[in-house]
Amino acid sequence: MSAEFIASNTYDSDHSSPVRFIWSHVRRHWIFIITLLVGAASNAALASVVFIFVGWSFDKLDAFQRGLDVTGEEALSFTLLMVGAVIGSQALRAVLQFMRNFSAEIFSQRLERDVRDELYGSLLGKGMDFHDMQPVGDIMARVTNDVREVNFMFNPGFNLIVGSSFFLIMPLFVAPIIHPQLILVPVVFVILHLIVQVRLINSVHPIAQKVRGSFGTMNSRLAEALEGLQVVKGTAQEENEAKYFQSLADTVRDYYIEQGEIEARYLSTLLWGLAFMAALMHAMFLYNQGAIAIGDVVAFIGQMYMFGFPVFASLFSLSRIASGFAGAKRILELIVAETNLDQNTAGHEGKLEGEIVFDNVTFGYQERPVLKNISFTVKPGQTVAIVGQTGAGKSTITKLINRTYDTKEGRVLVDGVDVREWKLESLRSQIGNIEQDIFLFSRTIAENISFADDHATREQVIDAAQKAQAHDFIMSFPEGYETVIGQRGVTLSGGQRQRLALARAFESDPPILILDDSTSAIDSATEDEIQKAIWTAAEGRTTLLITHRLSQIRWADHIVVIKNGTVAAQGSHEELLESSEAYRRIFARYDEPSESTHAVETE
Amino acid sequence: MGFFGGLEGDKYDRQYSDGYLAKRMWDYASKFGRNVGAIVVAVVILSIVVSLRPILISLGIDALESDQNFVILILGGLFLSAVFEYGANWVRRRLLTKVIGSMVAMLRNDSFTAAVGRDLAFYDRNKTGKIVSRITSDTQEFGDVLLFTSDVVSQIISIFFLLAILLERSVFLTMLLIGTIPIYAVAALGFRALARRVTRQGSRAMAVVNDQIQESVTGISVAKNFRREAMIYDEFTEVNLLSYNTNIKRSMVIASIIPAMNVLSGFSIAIILYFGASSVVEGVITAGTWYLFIQGVDRFLFPIINLVSFWSQFQQGLASAERVFALIDAENNLKQIDDKSGSDIKGHIEFKNVSFAYEDEQWVMQDFDLDIKEGESIAFVGHTGAGKSTVAKLVTRFYEFQKGDILIDGQDIRTFNLQSYRARLGIVPQAPFLFSGTIRENIRYARPDVLDAEIEELANSVGGGEWLETLPDGLDSDVGERGARLSMGQRQLVSLLRVMIQKPAIFILDEATASIDPFTEMQIQEAIDLLLAQSTSILIAHRLSTVRSADRIIVLKEGAIIEQGSHESLMEQNGHYAELYNTYFRHQSLSYVENARDILKDDAPEQIAGD
Repeated sequence: MSAEFIASNTYDSDHSSPVRFIWSHVRRHWIFIITLLVGAASNAALASVVFIFVGWSFDKLDAFQRGLDVTGEEALSFTLLMVGAVIGSQALRAVLQFMRNFSAEIFSQRLERDVRDELYGSLLGKGMDFHDMQPVGDIMARVTNDVREVNFMFNPGFNLIVGSSFFLIMPLFVAPIIHPQLILVPVVFVILHLIVQVRLINSVHPIAQKVRGSFGTMNSRLAEALEGLQVVKGTAQEENEAKYFQSLADTVRDYYIEQGEIEARYLSTLLWGLAFMAALMHAMFLYNQGAIAIGDVVAFIGQMYMFGFPVFASLFSLSRIASGFAGAKRILELIVAETNLDQNTAGHEGKLEGEIVFDNVTFGYQERPVLKNISFTVKPGQTVAIVGQTGAGKSTITKLINRTYDTKEGRVLVDGVDVREWKLESLRSQIGNIEQDIFLFSRTIAENISFADDHATREQVIDAAQKAQAHDFIMSFPEGYETVIGQRGVTLSGGQRQRLALARAFESDPPILILDDSTSAIDSATEDEIQKAIWTAAEGRTTLLITHRLSQIRWADHIVVIKNGTVAAQGSHEELLESSEAYRRIFARYDEPSESTHAVETE
Repeated sequence: MGFFGGLEGDKYDRQYSDGYLAKRMWDYASKFGRNVGAIVVAVVILSIVVSLRPILISLGIDALESDQNFVILILGGLFLSAVFEYGANWVRRRLLTKVIGSMVAMLRNDSFTAAVGRDLAFYDRNKTGKIVSRITSDTQEFGDVLLFTSDVVSQIISIFFLLAILLERSVFLTMLLIGTIPIYAVAALGFRALARRVTRQGSRAMAVVNDQIQESVTGISVAKNFRREAMIYDEFTEVNLLSYNTNIKRSMVIASIIPAMNVLSGFSIAIILYFGASSVVEGVITAGTWYLFIQGVDRFLFPIINLVSFWSQFQQGLASAERVFALIDAENNLKQIDDKSGSDIKGHIEFKNVSFAYEDEQWVMQDFDLDIKEGESIAFVGHTGAGKSTVAKLVTRFYEFQKGDILIDGQDIRTFNLQSYRARLGIVPQAPFLFSGTIRENIRYARPDVLDAEIEELANSVGGGEWLETLPDGLDSDVGERGARLSMGQRQLVSLLRVMIQKPAIFILDEATASIDPFTEMQIQEAIDLLLAQSTSILIAHRLSTVRSADRIIVLKEGAIIEQGSHESLMEQNGHYAELYNTYFRHQSLSYVENARDILKDDAPEQIAGD
């Protein structure tokens, strides 16, 4: 599979299906599976054996009661032996049970860790075409919750299923030891119980999903209505919102009740109750034939108690497994998502001059073309403004240059070489890209500026910050360049973030700079600073600007007006004032009172 | 803040007595009186039947040797107990989910209606997220606790039933059995405290990890731009490992709880086994009774462990109910004194000696006078905190003022029916808010009955409908949650169209500060011009073009009017407005655009030479 990055320390996992995917992770920790199985089996065996000890003890007491050749003392000392056996077996059981639980914990936690590592590594390997289309919130949900679901799938999910299965299996072995015929009731019970499980999971799972889904819908509308309460009140729509919310809350209620009804019908509880009757009946029959002693009856009835655990644990553990499986499926979807680009390591390499040519380019994310027959040329060192309505395709143009996407038709040439012929590493490392949403890491300001280069000296960092007009505000923080920003530190304004992003770009000094600038300055002084920084950045390199700032557009060397995916006009400011009606209108409107007849200009 | 952020109370929280809470809950539950009665009957039957089984079995075993006919009777009893247990449980479970589901839905509706009815001032003090969680999670938790309570009640009843029978069989052994209870209780309590501690540590670690994951996922694009994937991957695995290690520590405790309980239960069985046996030898009890006590150990142990954890859960459930009722009972500051229809107001607004404060006596506005004529448009300008939005907040009745009078068309603003009055206002908030759905649905929001044709005509009247071109499905494009799929400019346009379709008497615009591409901005300006022409307008302006399109500019400082007039006359005065212009609007002027290149290059002076 082609990828832009391959994590060094991952191992191969199987991506052909969710089950195989999980299995390929599971089998790496086989040692814990074995301890889990051994722990679970011995736990059930030792739980079962208590009833045998009790049965033997019962036989002695019974014999004493009936005046057979057992003295009270003998019966008591035998019971004392059994007491020791019970305590010993339960202590041993506790140790083994702990082994089982702890193995299951380690096992499931490791699974969570490994799957998350793998998923994250694979995310880093995807191209930006993938990341642009995939909402961050969705990725977050999969990396955190879905991976956790896989953990829960094994613990408590499988741990309980495995643990309780042995409580189902054990009586199948113990009962025939007491008397071969006694296997009958446990076998019938187990078969019927399993049938109930299959039917249960088939009926509960879909309804449980509906409960969750409808709850989510209700919750998001609720949050929306309260956040937009000013609009709700301002338009006097309180009653309609209440009615709408009620319909959503009622849907949740209806599904909840439906789920409750299905769960209330759970037949295994009835089967379990009937198993006691059947067991006593069968035991009585054998006892009357003289095939078993009364203590055997006690031991056998005890086995029926073993079934309680699986009967009550299964609903919970089955739903865990179902959601874990769904989680694994969603994780795998991300991992196997193909990205279109490869690194082209054998491609063209070299110092970039900065010429960009769009040659009749057509492109669309899906079927619908976003760009149609785009052609323009940028000479090295030029500043080009790309203007047009939001959604007209401006950012898409810039994404074709660093091969975030590849064109469908036509060519994009950088220094006369088709970008697809460039070595990706060489191309990208020479194109700086400041996106509209500026992302800074929760580290120090200095670390953010020198993000591309660990070896940058403090002088270089300060120099970059000064060019970006960021030095002054950085020094206004008590910690200066060591100020930590982001979630656990200082919050920066949009203008400050932009200048730090510019400083980051200065530090890596790329021959081509793409700047998607939509930051708004509240006051004129900040506006001055930002503009200065952008102008300095544009000097000596090819710069593509997507900007709302008229002064940047006004003074660009070349302006490309995009309308609905096509080049509506291009040229210098003066040329466009002549040739483009739309362009003329944005300038004509700008400084004049739109409704007023006053013609007095203050300039 | 921090980890305990969610645990603090809110101002409107109240303390209700347990009795009052029970009464409030009963008000809801009593609507299902018959079902509740049936549940109680089912619970009692269930608990009796469940505790009957070990008794029947021990009787049966005793009778095996002596009275086979009696055993057949016992078999019938076991059959009936199985059927009754299933039936009673079915009735209980079914009705319980029905009652609880309906109660939770009713609580949700009531608390939602209450939340929507609260003043906006209420939301200044309380985060929506916390209110959302009261309406969804607290109600849910309350329901879960009710379900859990019914389980515990049924177990308690069956314990008492079993206890009565055991006492009748052997006082000594029963006392012995009860004697072991405190050991479980102490052990369970101890484990609970321990588990809570490690779990809290675990969730703290997890919160840190989630933060880091969030950051690394959001930062992927930057990492890729700078080719630093390897570094960010190593950081991620480190954090992931930290989370793993914390979880493993937690697991040690969690994994040992049940084994420890099993050891204790082994001791209990052993004690009963031995002393029971000696009672049999002494002839005090039969072997069957002895077996009954052994079966009883498990039946005791489970409910006792449950009970220990029950009390704190029950308390949490009550606290949840308390939070929900506090939300329902919170009071508004806003009071209307009459219920006159406001549906034909024209838009003449008068402020007479109005004083307003968010908090007691901290006046934002004092003795304020202003007369806005019908159809007039007023732009308010001033520094942050000067009170630009105060007039709008009071005219919309989002906030209550303390002194003076506000008259709309000569009538006291407090005498209107709020709904009908607000229906005549067109309000565009600073952050345009859209609801999930299509653009069409959002435009229609204030007037659900409006015809499609009218929406289409309106949408196309702005900029020739050019803004719709870039949307995949035109008016039927999905706007996403809170309008996230639209650009800021498009959101503002939709928000304006939503108001235009209302044909409001009073138009209130809190202008956005976000920058918008010049082409969309041009269309927004057109939409605003259309509204200014047909309504009385209150503009909280951030754009020079908006300020200049107003009939009158009012310059505010510390809540008072210090200058007013047109742009030109105010600039001539060279007073506060001129200062505001140089601070906020200078860079929006054409002269700035034309001269920017020379002025801002390299070491040019900071300020451009005046106008």
